[in-house]
Amino acid sequence: MNILVFIKQVADTEARILIKGDNRSLEIENKYNLNFFDEFAVEEAIRFKGKVKDSKISVCTYGGKKAVEALRTAIAMGADQAYLIDNTDLDTDDPLITAKILAGFAKKEGFDLILCGRQAIDDENGNIGAMVAEFLKIPHVTAITKLDVVDEKKIIVENDIEGGKETKEVQLPALLTTQKGINEPRVPLITGVMKAMKANIPVIDPVTLGLAKESLDRNASKIKILSYETPKGRPPVKIIDGETPEEKVKKLIKLLREEAKVL
Amino acid sequence: MSKDIFVFIECKEGSIRKTSFELLSKGKELAEKLSSELYAVLLGFDTKSLIDEIKPFAHKILSVDTELLKDYRWDTYTDAMEYLIKKYSPYLVLGASTITGKDLFPRLAARLDAPIVSDAIGIEVTDGEIKIKKPIYGGKIISWVTTQNTPISIVTFRPNSFSIVKGDTAAEVIDERLEISMDSRINTNRIDKGGSKKVDLQEADFIICGGRGMKGPENFNILEEIAEILGGRVGASRAVVDSKWRDYEDQVGKSGKTVSPKLYIGCGVSGALHHTMGMDTSKVIVAVNKDPNALIFQYADYGIVDDLFNILPALKDGLKNLKQEA
Repeated sequence: MNILVFIKQVADTEARILIKGDNRSLEIENKYNLNFFDEFAVEEAIRFKGKVKDSKISVCTYGGKKAVEALRTAIAMGADQAYLIDNTDLDTDDPLITAKILAGFAKKEGFDLILCGRQAIDDENGNIGAMVAEFLKIPHVTAITKLDVVDEKKIIVENDIEGGKETKEVQLPALLTTQKGINEPRVPLITGVMKAMKANIPVIDPVTLGLAKESLDRNASKIKILSYETPKGRPPVKIIDGETPEEKVKKLIKLLREEAKVL
Repeated sequence: MSKDIFVFIECKEGSIRKTSFELLSKGKELAEKLSSELYAVLLGFDTKSLIDEIKPFAHKILSVDTELLKDYRWDTYTDAMEYLIKKYSPYLVLGASTITGKDLFPRLAARLDAPIVSDAIGIEVTDGEIKIKKPIYGGKIISWVTTQNTPISIVTFRPNSFSIVKGDTAAEVIDERLEISMDSRINTNRIDKGGSKKVDLQEADFIICGGRGMKGPENFNILEEIAEILGGRVGASRAVVDSKWRDYEDQVGKSGKTVSPKLYIGCGVSGALHHTMGMDTSKVIVAVNKDPNALIFQYADYGIVDDLFNILPALKDGLKNLKQEA
């Protein structure tokens, strides 16, 4: 079976991010990782491969040349092959474009199962999974917390719904997005890291995936960033003093009622 | 071209979610600015009793009432939304960035080849341009985004982004009948609502959140009691969830839920960036921590430096008295 995992390289949570003078671009400290939720997707693909024989895991991203590092992380964990679809000069803020490219790749590569994280932690959109599934006309399930194999044509998944969980049978091919809790992503072994360092990662030009270059660039984008700003900071904290816990709480409740007006 | 606005109404346990009223309130304001109509779109089964609740908030209600739409599924709901959007050609479709919204809207956007801005917290319409306010990088940056090359845009918002303003319209109800069928490739085996009558964490006006300083799962009982007094919810930090003291569904933070309640109280939460990214849009933040240097005080409006096991019983009594007086 062909398992595809779509990943994204994202700025680390702790990375410093500054707005450049034009207010339209960002300067991001050079600290990048494989997206938190995508680690669960890679791990689940490896576990799936363990259950269904003759499976192959291909990992793919639409990103800049630097994103190859995140692909190597996935190989170090246990993916078989990785592909970089190079978006140099085509960097986009429109998830429709990214999803079309990834769907184009999936069609070309062939697939039985596609996995990706439920959202990227940089733009926090969480759109790509369901969009790719729609472009491929296959079922999707978002935020899965369990995946069981019935046979080569059918799986059973559990996912988050409002206030609970749902269990469903899904026919393959399908696309699943992974939620925290589904597994514990492994830390790559040194042998995996060695393999990843040596792995040949083909670079794909997005225009070879059946989409015209004009439909991929900034002018084609349906989303446009107008400006960036830093969030308004809060005034310094008011530390509430008092002789006893009761006195402090009394003062706090008074402030919450009369000053903040939230009680 | 029409400048009409659709608001997708979300139901939970047979009632309309608070976030849908927030969107209707904002949608009405935008529709008035654009001199257009606000449509509330209600999909479901046996929803007659809900319609009256929406009437004052909208100009028109599009109702599709059929057993096939009883439980949310992306296949049936995307088909129904696609049909209604093609028929009425709205300019803007507003939804909530809830579990349902995050599942439905990207699929719908791809179906319509329409731009989507997700998890936004504000919107303005000026001179025919839509300006959407959206936090990125865990709230470290606020972006202002617009759409282009499109007759229609989809925007989803975090719950608690707008206040509810009850209107005085008496919306016209339009019953829509359409052919929908379920995708046979997906079969729901079991829906487990967990019997949860609790307020939704993302919709809660009040959240009291426990961190590692709570020392153990048994100590969360008092947080539950305080949450109940104020009709709110208990949240948890990642450390607490990773230690299995609380379920993942309670987790506030970057890898958990993003919340913006009116009042957030952090108890024994250190305030790691990972956590504050999920709560720093709360209106008022209170921190209780015995370490005066805890990072959370940098994000808080009010702070108490003390042992939380002394503070919590006093807080519970104080709030209980307050509610009894009211």
